[in-house]
Amino acid sequence: MLLEVLLVLGTLLIYFLFSKKKEETLPFKDGWWGRGQKPLTKEDSSIRPFKVETTEEELSDLFRRLDQARFTEPLENSCFHYGTNSVHLRKIVSYWKNQFNWKKQVEILNKYPQFKTKIQGLDIHFVHVKPPRLPEGRAAKPLLMVHGWPGSFYEFYKIIPLLTDPASHGLGDEHIFEVICPSIPGYGFSEAPHKKDFNSVSAASVFYELMLRLGFNEFYIQGGDWGWLICTNLAQIAPNHVKGLHLNMVSVSKLGLTHLLSVLLGQYFPGLFGFQDEDVRRMFPFLKKGLYRILSESGYAHIQATKPDTAGCGLNDSPVGLAAYILEKFSSWTDIEFQNLEDGGLERKFSLDDLLTNIMIYWVSGCIVSSMRFYKENLQKGIGTQKHEKLTVQVPTGIASFPNEILHIPQAWAKKKYTNIVSFHFMPRGGHFAAFEEPELLAKDILQFVDKVEKEQLWKKKGE
Amino acid sequence: MLLYWLRSGHKIKTIDMGDGWWGPGERPLKGKEDASIRPFKIETSDKEIEDLHQRLDRFRFTPHVEGAAFHYGFNSTYLRKVVAYWRNQFDWRKQVEVLNKYPHFHTTIEGIDIHFIHVKPSYVPHGRAVRPLLLVHGWPGSFYEFYKIIPLLTEPAKHGLNEGDVVFEVICPSIPGYGFSEAPHQKEFDSIATARIFHKLMNRLGFREYYIQGGDWGSRITTNMAQMLPQSVKGLHLNLVFIARQSLGRLICIMLGAYVPWLVGFTREDVRRFYPYMQKNVYDLLRESGYMHIQATKPDTAGCGLNDSPVGLAAYILEKFSTWTDKSFLRQDDGGLESKYSLDELLTNVMIYWVTSSIVPSMRYYKENFSKDPDLSAHNRVGVYVPTGIAAFPQEIAHVPRVWAKDVYKNIITYSYMPRGGHFAAFEEPKLLAQDIMQFVQKVEQL
Repeated sequence: MLLEVLLVLGTLLIYFLFSKKKEETLPFKDGWWGRGQKPLTKEDSSIRPFKVETTEEELSDLFRRLDQARFTEPLENSCFHYGTNSVHLRKIVSYWKNQFNWKKQVEILNKYPQFKTKIQGLDIHFVHVKPPRLPEGRAAKPLLMVHGWPGSFYEFYKIIPLLTDPASHGLGDEHIFEVICPSIPGYGFSEAPHKKDFNSVSAASVFYELMLRLGFNEFYIQGGDWGWLICTNLAQIAPNHVKGLHLNMVSVSKLGLTHLLSVLLGQYFPGLFGFQDEDVRRMFPFLKKGLYRILSESGYAHIQATKPDTAGCGLNDSPVGLAAYILEKFSSWTDIEFQNLEDGGLERKFSLDDLLTNIMIYWVSGCIVSSMRFYKENLQKGIGTQKHEKLTVQVPTGIASFPNEILHIPQAWAKKKYTNIVSFHFMPRGGHFAAFEEPELLAKDILQFVDKVEKEQLWKKKGE
Repeated sequence: MLLYWLRSGHKIKTIDMGDGWWGPGERPLKGKEDASIRPFKIETSDKEIEDLHQRLDRFRFTPHVEGAAFHYGFNSTYLRKVVAYWRNQFDWRKQVEVLNKYPHFHTTIEGIDIHFIHVKPSYVPHGRAVRPLLLVHGWPGSFYEFYKIIPLLTEPAKHGLNEGDVVFEVICPSIPGYGFSEAPHQKEFDSIATARIFHKLMNRLGFREYYIQGGDWGSRITTNMAQMLPQSVKGLHLNLVFIARQSLGRLICIMLGAYVPWLVGFTREDVRRFYPYMQKNVYDLLRESGYMHIQATKPDTAGCGLNDSPVGLAAYILEKFSTWTDKSFLRQDDGGLESKYSLDELLTNVMIYWVTSSIVPSMRYYKENFSKDPDLSAHNRVGVYVPTGIAAFPQEIAHVPRVWAKDVYKNIITYSYMPRGGHFAAFEEPKLLAQDIMQFVQKVEQL
């Protein structure tokens, strides 16, 4: 009895001590996302090895659906302006049926060690790759990399060796990483939440628990798309554990008068608004590159943020529909001009094997609906309304700004949120799926960022 | 800027009729278009039904989150029940017979086959006039939405309606790209092209003057028809009004209307339906317009999976029949669908999209209509001068007060606050809608 009372008092004391810091940090979001009621017994925290598997039945079911796919002829001369062109889609489906080898791709997926562990009621899947060799006396730096939608942990397969074994890839061996790539709950092989309200803060909290469970007290984090937001939240929840935050995408939700003015006048007085020449080149004309682009590319986000279960229903039943939906993003988010091509420019930057492997992860795990729900849980109350959107990030931040990203956010805007930007680079080429499309460019930027943070011991300074 | 202002303020009297070609390839230079009207019967086959059943059997279901009801979209637990009914009890052959009870036809206009049903009264009492009435459906509906209202309009007396001297012969076409009308092969097929094609259809059927009625896209198409050839439109009846322009004046109206409605021309019922403004007109619309956004930008992507998965198609379409009939249905696990409709009629409408593979072309219509800058498109600058009747249903997605409708519709003869019913007026409340159409037409006939 006394023990319980002391525990309660102790917890209250700690709460009060920590609550003073509420202004600067985002509270850790605990939760129970499993089915039904949270059991009274302690959660199993073991880390179990996992391998992706497939069966003949899975393959023959897929082939039957591909064989019986019903296509609709595109309008004449429409290229990719109406979405994924079905003439080209037919070619991809033919490759999928006749040449794509899922069993071989599964072996590729399994080349990196994968695991599952239960956190907050959900089985969390992750890849954990340690360096193949470490020079004497050196330690590997833990790096958490978070994917987005419609991507997966597979997006990192080409960049992982550049980070765990940089020397073999001509990148120098000053900084060697062990890389952890989890699947966001509801994506791929991570269990989908059974309860409402699982948002980016929930995901950040789950990943934070994951890193602690793996024994890491200090680590780097990297992300784009939803990974950008989850890593940002993680840096806000646990600034003392995150040595550095690296992003290949940034977004801002607190828009004010300065933003409006800089959009209207930034082209003419860039210096006044802190814009560099490259910022102006990427952002203007603003109607075309900003407003219209958002409108024409965000239909999916609008429907997924409001009716995810409807939007994903057919896609979980039609692999061709799923492929069309996902591939469209790999086209226009890699280069918006690809819409003018009959083949959507898909194979210019990616191989069909890679594209289809990512799609297969959504198909075999049946996760498209739960992946879409993440939009609703994050966006339904409106952009700019959540607590974490109002908080800043003090952790040393590195931003790699890719030219074909959907929207360009200049450093002048980013630094209002990320108060400790250590590096901000305009990348020479590449779009939204940076790790997938330009792994070497991204790896180099991560390395130079980490180098800065380590050399100047920046992570120690941020507490002040 | 001056030129823009001049251009946008300039009122033009009618929309240019123009012309179009929607068939494949180039328009043939020689030869007149085949203007024959060919009878048509909907058919099905064992193969078609077998294929449907196989797809229903292998549907891959995703469990919803706890307490989802219809807040995340179509509830998958209820969807399973619908699929079970569809697989085991729904009889498509029987429904095809139901569909064929009215005469169907095809005729080629501007290079594409236009489908329509044409129902004449079987018996016309002495001294009654028979007026032609064109009914235009919307998305995700079809000509089938009118099957319950047609008998009330062609034979009102038999159904206890006695609205004066008029009975109707009803023509319900399918919008090109929907149902059994061929889909356009060229880009830019919009509501103005549709309006022109429907005028040509009525003309081909021998009508010079006719009444027109519509909701959803039907509202926009019939409005365009009235703007294009006012001399042919005796009366325009709408169960949905679109207003395109928001202006400073409107904004002030909105703000004042909550407190001094009489000052801005709002009635008490307007206030009841219109406010709280942000909730009903901004949030609710944002929540319900995701489909419109994706269809207006990436229709081929949005419809791809739905043309391949009948269950996905049903979920997508039936979600609208739930929420647009009554917003409170969102809170129900079964979306309240069967409280207003039978599964047979809901699935028959879905089957029309399925057997004709028309979901993708039906979605393209959104892109073709919304791509252009609304301020510059003709029909937002042209007033509607033909006699207009508006039936305002309480559960319609957004309410437009009469005083705002007058900005576009200069000659409103009747404006009725309907006691109940939502977006799919003809489908859900055929008698109420028929009565309103009749009392409107009666007034027009007396003008």
